[in-house]
Amino acid sequence: MFKRLLVLVILAALLLPIFAVNAQDEITLRWRTRPDNQAEIDVYQAASDEIEAAWDGVTLQYEPGGSETASYQDVLITELTGGTAPDVFWIPGTDVARFAKLGLILNLNDLAAQSEGFSIEDFYPQIMEHLTYSLDGSDTLWGLPRDASAFAIYYNEDLFDEAGLDYPAEGWTWEDFRAAGEEITALGGDIKGFGMSNWWGPYGYFINAAGSSFFNEDYTGCGLANENTVTGLDFMASLYNDGLAVPYGEDPEPVFLAGNVGMFMNGRWATPGVVANATFGWNVAELPVGPGGPSNWLFWGAYVVNANTEHPQEAWELVMKLTSPEIQGKIAGLGANIPSRVGGSGVDDFLATFADLELNNQAFVNGLGYGVAENPVWAGDWSSIGTALDSGVAAVVAGDLSAQEFADTICAQVDPFFATE
Amino acid sequence: MKERKNLPLAIPASIVLNIATIVISVLLALSIFDLDEFYALGDTVQYFVGGIALVPAVAAAAAVILLIMKNPNGRFLSLALHFLGMIAASIYLLHIWGVFTGFDAIAGALYENSAWLWGLVIAYALYWFAGRLDNSKPLSSRIEMIAVGIGMLALIGLLFFGGILEATADILGKYGQLETWVVTALMVIFGIVAYGILTLGEYFGETTDQRTAWQGWLMLSPNIIGFTIFFAGPLLLSLYLSFTDSVGVKEPNFIGLDNYSQALSLQFKTQGENDQYAQDALDAGYRVLETVKVGDKTTVIGAKDVYFWISLRNTFMFCLMLIPLATIPALLLAVVLSSKIPGMKIYRAAFFLPSVAAVVGIALIWRIALYSSSIGFINYALTEFTRFLNDTFGTSFADTEIGWLSDTRYMMFSMVLMAAWQVVGFNMVLFLAGIQGIPNDLYEAAQVDGANQLNQFRFITLPQLRPTTFFVIVTTIINGLQVFNEPFVLFRGAAFPDEVRTAVLNLYLRGFQDILFGYSSALAWMLFAIIFVVTLIQFRLNRDKTA
Repeated sequence: MFKRLLVLVILAALLLPIFAVNAQDEITLRWRTRPDNQAEIDVYQAASDEIEAAWDGVTLQYEPGGSETASYQDVLITELTGGTAPDVFWIPGTDVARFAKLGLILNLNDLAAQSEGFSIEDFYPQIMEHLTYSLDGSDTLWGLPRDASAFAIYYNEDLFDEAGLDYPAEGWTWEDFRAAGEEITALGGDIKGFGMSNWWGPYGYFINAAGSSFFNEDYTGCGLANENTVTGLDFMASLYNDGLAVPYGEDPEPVFLAGNVGMFMNGRWATPGVVANATFGWNVAELPVGPGGPSNWLFWGAYVVNANTEHPQEAWELVMKLTSPEIQGKIAGLGANIPSRVGGSGVDDFLATFADLELNNQAFVNGLGYGVAENPVWAGDWSSIGTALDSGVAAVVAGDLSAQEFADTICAQVDPFFATE
Repeated sequence: MKERKNLPLAIPASIVLNIATIVISVLLALSIFDLDEFYALGDTVQYFVGGIALVPAVAAAAAVILLIMKNPNGRFLSLALHFLGMIAASIYLLHIWGVFTGFDAIAGALYENSAWLWGLVIAYALYWFAGRLDNSKPLSSRIEMIAVGIGMLALIGLLFFGGILEATADILGKYGQLETWVVTALMVIFGIVAYGILTLGEYFGETTDQRTAWQGWLMLSPNIIGFTIFFAGPLLLSLYLSFTDSVGVKEPNFIGLDNYSQALSLQFKTQGENDQYAQDALDAGYRVLETVKVGDKTTVIGAKDVYFWISLRNTFMFCLMLIPLATIPALLLAVVLSSKIPGMKIYRAAFFLPSVAAVVGIALIWRIALYSSSIGFINYALTEFTRFLNDTFGTSFADTEIGWLSDTRYMMFSMVLMAAWQVVGFNMVLFLAGIQGIPNDLYEAAQVDGANQLNQFRFITLPQLRPTTFFVIVTTIINGLQVFNEPFVLFRGAAFPDEVRTAVLNLYLRGFQDILFGYSSALAWMLFAIIFVVTLIQFRLNRDKTA
C-alpha cells in the first residue's frame, strides 16, 4: 500500500511542472559583454535586473563573457559557429566590419528608424561613421557603442618631483615629453622615463601625432608611405634605443605600479588598477602634442544584435536600453569607462569618479574629442593588416629595419589585405 | 512449433526495438538532409552526417533478419544497437536536464559551499585516528562511527546548501515536456532489452570466445564512442575544412589545395639594381621572408604567408633547444636522485612539482616575477652578482639589463627555459623508472672489474637507458612541436612578436583571430604531417641502432 502511495506521489510531483512550464510564455533575451572586473560584472548584472524589472514580457539573461585574457572572442566565435550565441553581444570596434561582412549581425537601421526619440547624433560622430557604414548602399546601423575610451599619460608625481620637473601641462609637446623622460631616466637605478605596450594603439599614436595615418583618407588603402610616418617611428624608436623606455614588448604596467616608470601610456581601463595598486603620487595628463598636432585614439566597442536572434525588435530595444544615459552613467561611475554619448549626465558621472584623488579625468574626455576612432576597416582585413604592422614596427624598434624602409615598403605588404575583400 | 513457444520475450522485443531504431534513424537522416543550413559546414558534411545517421537503420534491418534466422550475429548486432541506443538516449536526456550547460552552476554552488568539505577532512582525520587505536576497544569503533556521521553530515550539507533540492526540482520540471518522457522511456527500454538479449547466450549457442569478445567490446565501448565522437569526427571534419575557405560561420566553398598552396608558396628573386629594398624584388602578394647575400648577389626569399614559415622555423628552433635542456638535466637529476640517501623522496617531489603545476600560472610568475627586465628576480640576481664581482675583485663588468621578453635575441630562450624547467621533473621520473629497471648485477660485475662511477654511468647506465631515452626524446619533441602555452601566456596582452610565433600559436591566431578556419585546418594538418615524419624518422633511427 505504502509503495503504491509513494508511486502516486512521485507521479503527481512529476506531472505538476507541466502546468508551470505551460504558464511560461515570456521572451528570453541573452546578452553578453566583456567586463574588466567583478565590480563591472556586478554593475552590469544590476543594470540587467533593473531593465528587466521595468520591461513586461521580457526576461534578461546577462552573461559576463570573461575578461580580455579569458578568450572572450574565442568563445563568442565558437558559439556563433554553433548557433548558440546570445541575442545581443558586445564586440570591439575593430571586429564590427568582419562580423557584419560575415552576416553575423543585424542591420538595425529599420528598427532604429521606428524608434521614437532615438538619434545617432547623441553618440560620438567618429564612432557612428563606422557603425553606419553601408555594404550595399542602403541605410545602415550595425549597433550602438557601449562606451568609449582614450589614452592618457599616467605619470608618477614622486619621480617628477625627484627629478625637479613640472608635471605635464596642457599642450605639452614631444620635446617636453622626451626631456621629461630623459630627466627621470637619469635618476638612475631601474627607473625608466616612459613605458607603453607594443600593440597598434600606442605606436599608432606616434604615427598619427606625427601627421601620418594607417589608412588613406577613405580607409580603402594604406596611408603610411610618407615622411611623417618616418618622423613618428623614429621619435618612438629613439625612446627605446636611448634607454628611456621600458623595453618594447615588455608589459610596462607592473613596472609602473612598482614605481619605476615616470610616464605610462595607457587607456582609461587601466585607471582602477592604478588606483588600487599605486603606492605613490600619480595623476594623468593628455598625450603630448606631436608635430602633426594633438592626437589620440577613440577606442570603442559596440552592442550588436545576433543575426539569428528570434526577437530582433526586443534585441534592438535592449541595445537602446543598455546604451541609455542612465545605464552609461552607472557604468561610468566605476571609473573605467567613458560614456559613448557626447556630453550629458553620463559624462558628468565619469568626471566625478575618484574625486578624492583629484584625477584629471578631463584629460580622457579631451582626448576623445580629437581622437581618431578605432577603425574596423570595411575595405580590408584589419586582422592581417594589424599583424603586418606589428611585425614591421617591432623590427624598426629592434633596429632590424629603418623607419624609412618601413614607410617605403609597408604599403606593398598590406595593400593585398585591402584587396582581399 | 515447439521452438516458437519457447521463443524468449527479449527476441520479439528486440525486433520491435530494431524496427523502431530503423524509423528513428531514417527520420533523423531525413531531418538532417532537410536542413537548409547544416551548422555552416556545407552540403558535403550535411550529406556525410545524414549518411552516417542511416547506418543504424541498415544495421538494425540486418539485425532483424538475422534474429529471425536465429543467427548469433543478429544477437550481437542487436546488443550493440540497443547498448548504443541506451547511451545516446542517456546523453540526450542529460542534455534535456541541462546538465552539460549547468556545469558552471554546479561548480559555482560547490565552490560557494566548499567550507562543508572541511567536514570530510575532519571525518577522515578522525577515521584515521580511530584506526590507530586498538581495534578491540569500543572507543575505536565509536570514533569511527562519529567520523562516518560527520562525513555524511558534511556531504548532506554540501549537497543541500549547494542546491540539490533546486537542481532536482529543475530536473523534475523538465518532465513537463513530452520529449523528456519519451527519451527517458527509450533509455530504459533500450537498457532492458539489451539486458534481455545479453542473457540469451545459451539460446544462441554462445561459445566462450564469443562471450569474451562481446565483453571485450563492451569494455572498450566508452573509449571507442568517445574517440569516434570527440576525436575522429572533428579530425575528419578538420581535414575536410582544410580544403575549403571555411570561416566557421557561413557555408564554405571547396577550394581544393588552395590553402596548402597559400601556406607553402615561396618565391626566390634576385634583388636587382632598381630594387631599393628586398620587398621591391618580389611580386605582389609576397612578403620578404629572408634575404641571402652571396658575394654581390642578394637573393630574396618571399612567401605568401611569411608567418607559416616563421612559425615553423621558431618551432624547430624551440625543439632543438628544448631537447638538451629537458633531457640532460633530467638524466643527471635521475642519477643523483636514484641514490638511497634519506629524504630523497622530498627532492624527487620537489623536482616533479613544476610538471603538475598549471602552465598558465607558472607562465604568469615567470613573466612578471622572473623575466621582467626591471623588476624581475633574474635580472636582480644578475645585477647583484655583477656588483659582487666588481666589489670583490675590482672588475668593471657592466650591469646588463637583459630583456628576456622584449629583446628578440632572448625571447626564444626565455620560452625554452621555462618549458624545460617544467618538463625536466617529468622526464626525470621516466629516467628514474628506467634506472631502477637496470639489473644490479651489471654494476656489481663492473665494480669487480674496477670500473669507476663515471665508467659505470657511461657503459652501463646510458646504454641500458636507451629505450627510456628514446621515449623521453620522442615525447619531448612531439610536445615541443606542439608548443603553445608558453608563447601564448608569456607574450599575451599585446602583439605576439614574430620571434615567438610557433606553429600551433600561428594556427590558433589564424583560426580565431583572423577567423580563417579552413586555412588554420590546413596548417594543423601540415603540422601533423611534420610531427608524423619526424617521429617516423626517430623510430627508424632507433630501430637501426637497436638492430
